[in-house]
Amino acid sequence: MKPATQIDLLQGTLDLLILRALQNEPMHGWAVSERIQQISEGVLQVNQGSLYPALHRLEHQGWIQADWGVSELGRRARFYHLTAGGRKQLERETDNWERLSAAIGRVLKMA
Amino acid sequence: MTWRDLQLRMRALLFRRRAEEEMDAELRFHLEMQARKHREAGLAELEAGRRARQEFGGVAQVQEECRDGRGIRALETLLQDVRYALRGFRRAPGFAAAAVAIIALGLGLNTAIFTAFDAYVLRPLAVRDPSSLYEFSWTLPNGREHRATPAEFADFRRTSTAFAETLGFDMFFTRVEGHYLFGELVTGNYFTMLGGDAALGRTLTPDDAPAPGTQPVAVLSFTAWKNKFARDPEIVGKKLVVRGYPLTVVGVAREGFPGIGDLPVDFWAPLTMGAQLQGGSNLQRNRRGNIEIVGRLRRGWSPSRTKASLAAWAHQYTADSPFAEKAVNVRLLSRASTLAPRTATLAAMSSFLASFGLVLLVACANIANLMLARAMARQREIGVRLAMGAARSRLIRQLLTESVLLAAAAAVVGFGISQATIGLAVRLLYATTPAGYLDALNLVSLSPDVRVFAFMLAAAIAATLLFGLMPALQATRPNIMQAARGEFTTDFRPSRLRHALVIAQVAVSALILISAAILLRANLRIGGVDPGLQSAGVIELDVEEPLRERVVQQLAADSLVQSVAAAGKVPFMGQLPELVVRPAESKDRHRARFQMASPEYFAIFQVPLVRGRSFTADEARGDAGVAVISEATARRLFPDRDAVGRTFRISAPHGPGMPMFSEARVIGVARDAINGWIGDGTDSTCIYFPTTLHSAGTVLLARVAGNGDAARQRLDASLARDIPGAIDQIHSVDEILAVQLYPFRVVYWVSAALGAVALLLTLTGLYGVLAYLVAQRTKEIGIRVALGAGWGQVAGLVLKQSLRLAAIGTAVGSLAALGLARILAALIPNIPNFDAAAFGVGMLLVFAASVCAAWMPSLRAARIEPVATLRCD
Repeated sequence: MKPATQIDLLQGTLDLLILRALQNEPMHGWAVSERIQQISEGVLQVNQGSLYPALHRLEHQGWIQADWGVSELGRRARFYHLTAGGRKQLERETDNWERLSAAIGRVLKMA
Repeated sequence: MTWRDLQLRMRALLFRRRAEEEMDAELRFHLEMQARKHREAGLAELEAGRRARQEFGGVAQVQEECRDGRGIRALETLLQDVRYALRGFRRAPGFAAAAVAIIALGLGLNTAIFTAFDAYVLRPLAVRDPSSLYEFSWTLPNGREHRATPAEFADFRRTSTAFAETLGFDMFFTRVEGHYLFGELVTGNYFTMLGGDAALGRTLTPDDAPAPGTQPVAVLSFTAWKNKFARDPEIVGKKLVVRGYPLTVVGVAREGFPGIGDLPVDFWAPLTMGAQLQGGSNLQRNRRGNIEIVGRLRRGWSPSRTKASLAAWAHQYTADSPFAEKAVNVRLLSRASTLAPRTATLAAMSSFLASFGLVLLVACANIANLMLARAMARQREIGVRLAMGAARSRLIRQLLTESVLLAAAAAVVGFGISQATIGLAVRLLYATTPAGYLDALNLVSLSPDVRVFAFMLAAAIAATLLFGLMPALQATRPNIMQAARGEFTTDFRPSRLRHALVIAQVAVSALILISAAILLRANLRIGGVDPGLQSAGVIELDVEEPLRERVVQQLAADSLVQSVAAAGKVPFMGQLPELVVRPAESKDRHRARFQMASPEYFAIFQVPLVRGRSFTADEARGDAGVAVISEATARRLFPDRDAVGRTFRISAPHGPGMPMFSEARVIGVARDAINGWIGDGTDSTCIYFPTTLHSAGTVLLARVAGNGDAARQRLDASLARDIPGAIDQIHSVDEILAVQLYPFRVVYWVSAALGAVALLLTLTGLYGVLAYLVAQRTKEIGIRVALGAGWGQVAGLVLKQSLRLAAIGTAVGSLAALGLARILAALIPNIPNFDAAAFGVGMLLVFAASVCAAWMPSLRAARIEPVATLRCD
């Protein structure tokens, strides 16, 4: 059912994407999944079922924090925001990712 | 685990329902938003919702994953296990109660002994920075420890830079207003260095020691003020007559300030008062010095570096001394707790601790067996669960949860038992201490502290692993699968582990009981030894020099006193001093022990002179070169001829407490007796040298008519009235003997009590195992009976099994006891390497008790009705 241009997420990259999505403003779970699809122009498809366990896990790790707030449509929703530790983690993971993708890029070009 | 994580977990656990609701609300919100998106894209209401759920995946699965993310899985299973275990205990309350009681007994006894160990050895003194305080002394070529004289101490303070600060103190016992007080003469910096503030008045300062003897002041400890002076609010300014010398009380130290010494200190006076207070009560001591040096380590200096510096100082300081007074080694011992951790102290204490530990082991073995029996009874259930795919680790965790719960309950009960034991032991101590010493009894506080609780926790965990882990592993062994299929009827035998546990229990009981028997016999031997002198009715008085004449006159005038004598040392209390002698016309030098004795000494103790005569008054006064020797000494020094009239040379340093002459003529031979330490038995050598009632450095002895203790009290009262503060110590010689024997009796009683507890536990353990065995074999035995096996055959079946276990256990225990007996023999005099009678009694007791324990189960086996067994199962 998926368009051919969609890519399944690599293991472990979901955390990075969630952290990145939350970098600028707090948002609820659904908005996170929307944001990821939107920015990647539909290429990255977040499996919605695995989004929430990931959010809860990140919360336990202390990288994000959740508060109940009121959504744009006036409904009660759980809003997540980055903690200071989460910002550092995001930097670290971004670095890692860039090193990894650069390396893979080099290997693909040279080999 | 971060703090945030912990918070979330706690929240998830405590507000489980709320967490669930929040999760549901969050997921619902997501689905609604998604459906709304699809609706806006043009899908119909129903289709939009369906699509949203489809995209989301299994909601239940996501919820489960979220719960895992919450991290309370482990806690939930734990709660489940706890509930399961508690249900089990409710079904078998007898088992739970027995297990808790037995483990609690083992934990409680061990905690009690550890509390005492902690109070004396581990607990830091309540003084400033106790861990940096170290005691310094040096040892002489003869191996003895040298305590500093006042002059040596002054030199040390002036010339050594090893310590950051140094204090000195001189401990002594005295009596003030009828109370025994443990006093210390201390340097002026004592209180500032140890952080001892005053509760009332002031403490001592360096200004209290301007010149020797000019500051007759004293500071009382809070405890002494409370217990012995009834919290007298007017105490400051009052006078204490210490050894006939009035000291003005200038203050009371703060509550809980223990000072530094071998016992909690009752009062302190300036060290410069030494000449007045310590005068000549024991001149030998003065020659050797009695000042203990305690210093604080320099910042950044390790004990070994400090020790090296002290060694250099001591070697240099004694470089010009005669060989016998040279420092060969220095000792630097931590003074952080009441008892300095000397090797001998630790060795004696660790053997004590170890025997208590053995009792805990027996208790654990006992419960391990019970747990194993329980697990075996549940083997069908366990087998089924294993067969259905339950993880072995999960089952082990469940079984261990039971053990942890039992141990936790046992720890609580055990703490109560330890407190009760300590209370009982202290009461027993007060009840059994000879009356004349009761007032001198001075215990440190035995309240539990954080180390005691840590010990309990560690012991409880160790116990849990011991009695819980083994059965859990054993019961979940994969081959238990056979049991699930009911395959244990033909070849079922209780595991080897259970037998090993019983054997271990029997062995430990045998070990402890044999040791108790050895100690009992040693006690009887020491108690039953004939001292060779009549001590009953003789009272010892320790009198201060300045008042000695008056005391002697008063004693002589007292109608109750039949005769008075003087001696260098009261008999039975510690070893006699030693010197080297060489008989004239011989080249052999002999080490010999000696006693200073006034002419009346032999009469007062009724020691007969088998040859020759006692000293005359002239000989005693004139320090004539004469001596009376014991029969054993005569045999050693003059093996071939009559000793009377012979002479010997004495090579020993002259000085107070030593004979004043270098050659002595034997004028009499006395029958052998015990003048020295009771544990050593009859003196192997004893040379009596003359002294008088008026000589410094001797104790007075008075023979009184009638009851010794009543006479002692009457004498004490009349002396206290007429010559206050004159008597440091007054005891009947029998009481001194009793006090000397007291530690032996304590060791014996403790080991006997431990042996009894261990035996009791072993018997219940053995009984439990056999009863279980009989229950397991009911069917088999029923068939045997049905086939015609007689009463005796069936009972014999069970008895034989238990006897085999008991025999092996007793043999193992006896072998261990053989090793232990050698250690005891080395530690305590009067104990032979092999005491056949003690071994016989101990082994017989354990073996007989095992047979008794086996009797009931074997009877039960014999009464099994074959018809009934066929009906069951």
